[in-house]
This record gives sequence, C-alpha cells and structure tokens, in this order.
Amino acid sequence: MSKSWIETNTFHYSDFNDLDNLVKMKKSKNLAISLCLPTLNEEKTIAKEIIFMKSELMTRYPLLDEIIVIDSGSTDRTLEVAKAYGADIYEADSILSRLNKFKGKGENLWKALHVTKGDIIIYLDADIKNIHHRFAYGLLGPLLLSDNIKYSKAFYDRPIATGKNKIRPTGGGRVTELVIRPLFSLFFPELTQILQPLSGEYAGYREIFEKIPFPIGYGIETSMILDICEKWGLDVIAQVDLDKRIHRNQDTKALGKMAFAILKTFFNRIEKAELINLKTEMFDEIIQYYLVKDEFKPDTMKFEGFERPPMIEIPEYLEKYKK
Amino acid sequence: MNGYLEKLTSYVDTIRSIQETIITNIILIGQIPSPTFKEKRRANAFLERLSELQVDECTIDGYRNPIGIIRGTSDTKPPIFVIAHLDTLFHKDIDHNFKIKENSIIGPGITDNSIGVGVLVSLPEIFRILDLRFESDIVLGGVIQSIGKGNLRGIRHLIKTWSTPIRAGICIEGTELGRLNYYSSGMIRCEVDCTITTGYEWEQKFKPNAILVLNEVINQLLQLRMPQRPRSRIIIGKISGGQKHGTIAYSATLGFEIQSDSSKMVKSIFKDVKDIMEGVGHEYEVELKLKTISNLNAAKLKYNHPLVKSTVAVMHELGLKPTSGPSESELSIFLSRKIPAVTLGITFGKNEQEKDAQVEIEPMFKGIAQIIGVLMAIDSGVCDE
Repeated sequence: MSKSWIETNTFHYSDFNDLDNLVKMKKSKNLAISLCLPTLNEEKTIAKEIIFMKSELMTRYPLLDEIIVIDSGSTDRTLEVAKAYGADIYEADSILSRLNKFKGKGENLWKALHVTKGDIIIYLDADIKNIHHRFAYGLLGPLLLSDNIKYSKAFYDRPIATGKNKIRPTGGGRVTELVIRPLFSLFFPELTQILQPLSGEYAGYREIFEKIPFPIGYGIETSMILDICEKWGLDVIAQVDLDKRIHRNQDTKALGKMAFAILKTFFNRIEKAELINLKTEMFDEIIQYYLVKDEFKPDTMKFEGFERPPMIEIPEYLEKYKK
Repeated sequence: MNGYLEKLTSYVDTIRSIQETIITNIILIGQIPSPTFKEKRRANAFLERLSELQVDECTIDGYRNPIGIIRGTSDTKPPIFVIAHLDTLFHKDIDHNFKIKENSIIGPGITDNSIGVGVLVSLPEIFRILDLRFESDIVLGGVIQSIGKGNLRGIRHLIKTWSTPIRAGICIEGTELGRLNYYSSGMIRCEVDCTITTGYEWEQKFKPNAILVLNEVINQLLQLRMPQRPRSRIIIGKISGGQKHGTIAYSATLGFEIQSDSSKMVKSIFKDVKDIMEGVGHEYEVELKLKTISNLNAAKLKYNHPLVKSTVAVMHELGLKPTSGPSESELSIFLSRKIPAVTLGITFGKNEQEKDAQVEIEPMFKGIAQIIGVLMAIDSGVCDE
C-alpha cells in the first residue's frame, strides 16, 4: 500500500486562501470554471450557496465563469429562487431530451457536462447549511496549483491525526464506515486513504469526467473514485479538508437504500474487473420492513443500477465540443 | 458633496447591483454567535472582512471594539462615526445558520443587529462602487457589550477614549426602515432579587413566597405617581422565579426600567423605588437586593437641528416617512457628549427577538442609500455650525 499518497495529496482549504493567486493560475492556464449545483427541493439552502459563490468567487475574485443549477423536478420553489439570484437553471429532463429520462443526482451531474462550458467543473450538493466559498476554492486549489491532480474530493471535520499518538475519528458517515471502508479494505486497500469517499463535493477536469460512466443515483461517488483510479491512478486525486459541513441528517432506512445502491455499483465494478465471479444475477430491489399496527409490512424499492455511458460517447456532446 | 439629494434615488439601483456582496457580509458575520460579553469571534470576523475590503486602517481599541477607518481627503475635518452593535440576544448554542428566500433573510439576531453589522462592513465596497470620497475620515465601529448588562460599555469606551473631536455619529439598527431617533430618555435599568432563606422542610409553610413578595413590589411600583411632564414611566419587563408548582418560591427576580425625559426625574423615581424595596423587605422580613444594570442620561437634538433636518430631507427624497421616538442605545452616548448623532433603521422585519427573526431584502437598498445620504450631509458640513 502506498503510504505517501495521504501525506502528499491531502490538503486543507486554508492552503488555498490566496485567491488572487488562484485567479492568476486560472488565467495563466487559460481555463474556464463551472460550478454545478444538482437540486431536488432545495429552496431552503440554494439561495445562500448562489449568493456566496457569486459574491466571493465571481464578483470579488473572478474564479467562476458560471453557476448552473440542474434540477430533478423540484416541487418547491428551488428553481424560482435560484433564478432570482442569477444562476443558470436547467431541468435535467430537458437536456439531451431524446434519451431515456432518469431521476437522480448522478443523472444531473452527467447532464451538467453537456450544458456547462468549463474546463473544470465543481460539483457541490445544494443542501449545505453552512455554505462558505471555501467549499469551492478549496476544491479548486489542487487542480489549479498542481499539474498532476485532475480530481479533488472534499472531507470534513479535520479528521487527520495531528501528531504522534493523537488520533481523531475520520469523520466518515455511517455508510462510509459500515459499507465503503470495509469494501475498500477488502478489495482496494490503497483507497482507504480517501477519508470520506462519499462526500458530495468534488471538482475535476472535464477531460476526466467526460471519459467515465455515471451511475444515475447514489453510486456515483463510489464509481467515480473506482473509475478514475483504474484509468489514471490514485495520484491524480487529491482530498481537501473543508472543515465543517452541516447537512440534513438521514434516517437509517434512507441510509440503507443508499448502501444498497452503492453495494450494487461496487459489485458491478469488481465483477467487471474480474476480482469476483458472481454465480447468479443480483436482485435489484431493497426490501425493508415497517411495523404497521402490530404487523410487519415490507417496503420495497427498485434500484436497477442504470449508468450513463461516458459523455464523450454521446454524439450531441461530440458535436457541441467539436471533439 | 453638494447636490447629494438628487443622486440618492440612482444610488439605490447601484447598491442593489452588489446585493450578493452585501448579503454575503450579513451572513458571514451574522452566522457567528455573538451574545453580549462573548463577541470576540464576531469582532474578529468584522475586522478580517474590513481588511479583505482593503479599508485603510483596521484595528481593535483598548476595550476590544473592532474599528475600520477609511481615510478622508481633509487633514482638518474631524471623523464621522458609523457604528452598529455586535452583540445579540442569542446564546451561542442556538443554530445561527440563516435561511435566504427570494426577498428575505431569516435567522436569530438578524434584525437586532446582524443586518446592521453586515451593512456596516459593506460600506467600503458601497463607497467604492458609488465612487464616493469623503473629506472626513469615516470610522466604522462594531461596538461590543451594548445590550442589557453590557450597558453600552463598548461605545462608552470608544467615544471616551477617542483622541480627537468627533464630527457626528450615525448608529445603524436593523429595523425599522423609517425610524429616526435623535433623542434618548434618561433611564435606569434595575433588577430586584428576592431570596428567602431556607432551613428545615417543615419551615416551608411559614416562609413568605418570593413571587408574592415581588408581586407586592410590582403593586407598589404601579402606585407611584408618574409625572406627565417631564414624561416618565416605569416598565415592568421581566420576571422569573420558583422551582415547581407545589413548592413555595424561595427566589424570584424582577427586571424593570425607569424612563424619563429628565435625568433628574429618573433619579428621583429611583429614590422612591429604593424606599419601596426597603419597606417591602422590612414588612415581609425578606432580603430584597436592588441592582442597577445600566443607566443613561437624557439627551437630545432639537427637531430643527441641521442634522435632523438633513436626515428628514434624505428620507423624504427616498420616499421614506420618518418616525421618531426615544432611543436608549448608542445614540445616547453620542448625544450625552454633545456629538450630534442619529439612529437609522435598515429595513423592515418581523419576529424581532425570535429565532426565526426575518428581514426583507429589497427595502434594505433604500435603507443603505439613506445612510449614504446622511453621511454626505454631515460631510458637507451640516453639523459644523
């Protein structure tokens, strides 16, 4: 196991506080940068994210060239609010509309590749209560200041040990610690150095994102790491401590559904990599039980595990970007 | 700076064009809890932000009030102070993450006074976009320890220790847009603690009840004759006490304020209040401790003072209807030191002292233009006569 990656490729957002320098690097590399916020009913938090990013990273420091919101069909006022504060808004279904339509975060991120113009794309969840512009510039830092790093991923709560014998928890969520970390330990031990593989905030070069498939739902974070590592190696990845992130807490049943989707994505990947040989097809329904008036009733939900192909295989995209 | 009135309405649109920066400042500072006596983190953020905006001088005075100074073009004109208090009523453990809707910001302390502080921090950027330079230095002060037991200590220290004369002051409060305070009442804020000494449990039924003792105090306070002139009153504001439903209350606390247009009258009423405490304490054989939390002298500008007249003109130009009343805030400290000053509100709001306090965004741009107008009036010399 490479021991140096966690030492060389782990950063703190304050390493990139010199925003003038980031702007200079952006200009010298002649890059455009897009911020994408995937949404589904985020009217309570979306305005704050847009306002912060516009004020600090567009008006004061011209790092971002556009802020786009891609929505999965919100029934609240997410889109109206986002528009009122000047974001470019898209309904996911209206992008590449000849294709089958799916709902999910991965679907929104994939379609963002088609409508954004940036050479670098930053993806931030839209439900961050304590949003701050460090969430964006912290992720941009390694991409702009290093020539090797092509993808950066967030982690939170300062989980790094601060010295000899000073060990602190890694801050990973329940699904990370109970599902992903054990799986990584079993099959890809070097990936355990990625402290919070499921964090929803990451940024990368278009040339990376356009060449990997995107699961339409929860499996997107896991597959992204596995695919990037397989194609380009761990050294193109950086992880950045963004300090604290406050978000909605999810109940165990919701986390169970998330874990199911992630497991499915993971098994598909390791089977394709011929690390295991499944003798039978996996089922695609998670079954959970509820107690209703002294009776246990099953609640099933289907995860078919659809994945979008690499965007570079889509003719409209090739045409648009003259690839 | 002459002819500033005509420019004000166009300023509103220009100020609106940087609404993201103004709102970001309000959030960045307002989301940091800042209960009275624990304003340090907010004060640091205030200074950090001012220095990011390249304010000429950013410093902390001897009492830990953070201050930014924008240097003026004249070496001789005294500085103009624009201040907002940094402390709020909300404890640090309360969730301070604000919500933003299409035309409102919601969160604890936003009305009093996080929006005021956010606007204060935004002023350097607003001056820049409006291309404004002033003759006077503009001192932007985030004052600490204002509310309640803070007793305006921050502003008292700032003004007292400032080494040069001060041309005038503007105090910014979150709400309500249209307020124009130019006089402050004399005031003594008091707290009475009633404590019953306890011994054996069987003694309980023979002991007086602290709540009932304070009830008697209230009755006697209400029987005091308050003069119509100078206008005077006692406000009973807070009461707490007791432990549980079935047990006599061994302790209780009452909070009230004596207010009057005359400082002399406040002192005279306070003497009567002390007599009441002594009498009730003696009668019930209990200990009544009367504490003075804060006090202010009455001070005022006349309605025809040039600063008041100019402020009214600015408000009329912006279509605002001035509403006057006394203010027991930083204003009184300026006025008591003979420094002309006014208190102005930024916008409209509701649920002021609640966790879900709310302010409207759109009226804020007029509220800011109004501050700019008054600053320009002062800088043009209206207070120099």
